[in-house]
Amino acid sequence: MRQIIHIDMDAFYASVEQRDFPQYRNKPVVVGGDPAIRGVVATCSYEARTFGIHSAMACSQALRLCSQAIFVRPRFEVYRQISQQIRDIMFSYTDVVEPLSLDEAYLDVTQCNRTFGSPTLIAKAIQKDIQFKTGLTASAGISYNKFLAKIASDLDKPNGLTLITEKQGPNFVQQLPIGKFYGIGPATQEKMQCMGIYTGDDLLAWSLDELKPLFGKASLYYYNAARGLDDREVESHRQRKSIGSEKTFDEDLKDPKEMLEKLHQLAAEVWQEMQQKEVTARTITVKVKFDDFVQVTRAKTVSRNINEVVEITVHLQELLHKAEIEGRRVRLLGVTVSNLDMLNSVKKEQQLFLL
Amino acid sequence: MQLSIARENLLKPLQQIIGAVERRQTMPALSNLLIRSNDQGLTLTATDLEVELVATLNTELGETGDATIPARKLLDICRSLPDQAQIMINSSNEKTVVSSGRSRFTLSSLPAEDFPIIDDLELDVSVVISEGDLRSLIEKTAFAMAQQDVRYYLNGLLLEVDAEYIKTVATDGHRLALSEIKHKTDVDEVRQIIVPRKGVQELQRLLTNDDNQVTVALGKNHIRVTLPNLQFTSKLIDGRFPEYQRVLPEEEGNTAKMDKLHLKQALTRASILSNEKYKGIRLIIDDNKLVVQANNPEHEEAEDEMEIDYQGERLEVGFNVVYLLDVLNALESEEVEVIIKDANSSALIVSSGKLESRYVVMPMRL
Repeated sequence: MRQIIHIDMDAFYASVEQRDFPQYRNKPVVVGGDPAIRGVVATCSYEARTFGIHSAMACSQALRLCSQAIFVRPRFEVYRQISQQIRDIMFSYTDVVEPLSLDEAYLDVTQCNRTFGSPTLIAKAIQKDIQFKTGLTASAGISYNKFLAKIASDLDKPNGLTLITEKQGPNFVQQLPIGKFYGIGPATQEKMQCMGIYTGDDLLAWSLDELKPLFGKASLYYYNAARGLDDREVESHRQRKSIGSEKTFDEDLKDPKEMLEKLHQLAAEVWQEMQQKEVTARTITVKVKFDDFVQVTRAKTVSRNINEVVEITVHLQELLHKAEIEGRRVRLLGVTVSNLDMLNSVKKEQQLFLL
Repeated sequence: MQLSIARENLLKPLQQIIGAVERRQTMPALSNLLIRSNDQGLTLTATDLEVELVATLNTELGETGDATIPARKLLDICRSLPDQAQIMINSSNEKTVVSSGRSRFTLSSLPAEDFPIIDDLELDVSVVISEGDLRSLIEKTAFAMAQQDVRYYLNGLLLEVDAEYIKTVATDGHRLALSEIKHKTDVDEVRQIIVPRKGVQELQRLLTNDDNQVTVALGKNHIRVTLPNLQFTSKLIDGRFPEYQRVLPEEEGNTAKMDKLHLKQALTRASILSNEKYKGIRLIIDDNKLVVQANNPEHEEAEDEMEIDYQGERLEVGFNVVYLLDVLNALESEEVEVIIKDANSSALIVSSGKLESRYVVMPMRL
């Protein structure tokens, strides 16, 4: 049985601001863009959350919800330094650490609980170390796989610790609303609800063969998740899975031509990063967010690795068209490539061209 | 309109044409079939605007009229009804009622006049050929078509017709497959068309009875193949196919003759060590001996040796093993000839002594 801990910093960016600026303490703090020019909320303090503010919300809306909110711009350099401190703490307990972002990570402590004690004690020790060294609090979730550990860390925030044992796992998943499953976003949630799936228990009734035609590749994950199973490893040397660039415009775009132009610029940025990282890709995704915040993505996978920027740009018009942008106002556009492959491993085998 | 038909008479034509119905359509009408009953008979039409399939049904005519009906639902209903069931279809403006025995389905339908039919055909050349010949021309080449290539004209099959022959050619830029049959036609000037990938795949599914004669008609923008009780129409890819003659290597050169089955087995074994990313294998062709080598990034190695008929200089060439296996699967003879100059030039693979089907594979640098 594996022992996985998920550590999630509590309102990370906002807590850092409150730590460094005492005048912000016990006040609704919103870290993000400028509400005047349509920035979005990156993180907000727990005081701000009581007003209904949450991350990814437009700052202008946050301001409407709470007029006394303090808006601050993110200081990523500081966050990154603190994040590194936190990672160092984690690595002092185990080598198997998989950071998901600056403020959360998975740890596999199966091997180390003999030296340090139970996983619960390790998690507590990590929380204590983090608080001592950074002055910030984190919540921990402990379970026998990543899926449950992540859910557990969210159950008792802030500064909480939740353990889901092997015995509790299946029952716990059964009563869990489907939207709380990691990896099930609003779209899948709606689709499942249309099928009468509201909780893990409902999902349990579906066989793998029944899920397959509806959810494709993801069905195995859903099927296992409903049973409290998840065999994904904690990957300590995580490779990047995608490279992307996106932009929120100061003013909504209406002209498809202009949108295509912006996509070309974004594609050029993505291509530049691909070259820097020496990777190639096979899937191109265009993301469109409309003025009503409805977001769609359209993707295409090509049969051979992308070797030139035109191999991205040639698909942009089609993907944009598929997003049904005609006659609508667009506030954000993004281009992402995925299905990445290291160039040097591709170079090793070089197919010669006939034409 | 109203009609009554035996399940068996409806099921097969439905299965034949369903492939044209895309699972994700851009237009609601495209998820439907058009049922048309007039003095010429009863027909079912499915289309994705690129490929159109029309099946003629063996049934007594009911009243004349047109209707559309959700295609996949009708097929699923038909499939799940018991053998020998008699199916009644009764269609009014917005609803179609499909019933059989004690089962009854009320399905939504869309106006038949909105159903898109390819009608701007200008077919100016036609060739009569056996279904078997057409099937063979496609089967022997279609696997080499490109998939979603930026060079859109590679995402299809070239059909070339002349007074003396019919040819098909497919290439994805790394390999090329060509097949031809001698066949007298009325075509006086060489004619080339490119049938898109989906059309090729649908057509291939329809060709099941080798002895039937079929008519292949070509126009500037369309191809239409008429089979007994079935009509296939596809738009063409508007583009120029590469000059394939230029990449066909000389038939002279270092020729290695080998047993096809042995080679296939050796490659299949070696490919155990290849994967999605590493498909390269090494062929070492030496005096009457062929060594197949494979290794992967984990530094595992496979080696397989076989006797061949070869008296030339020693050659060491890398290939994508999938490309080679595709070719061997398409060739029918027991013995194959591999003609190759060096590790940087394309290899020509043919059945011994036969040039009707020719395969060109470009090496890999390993």
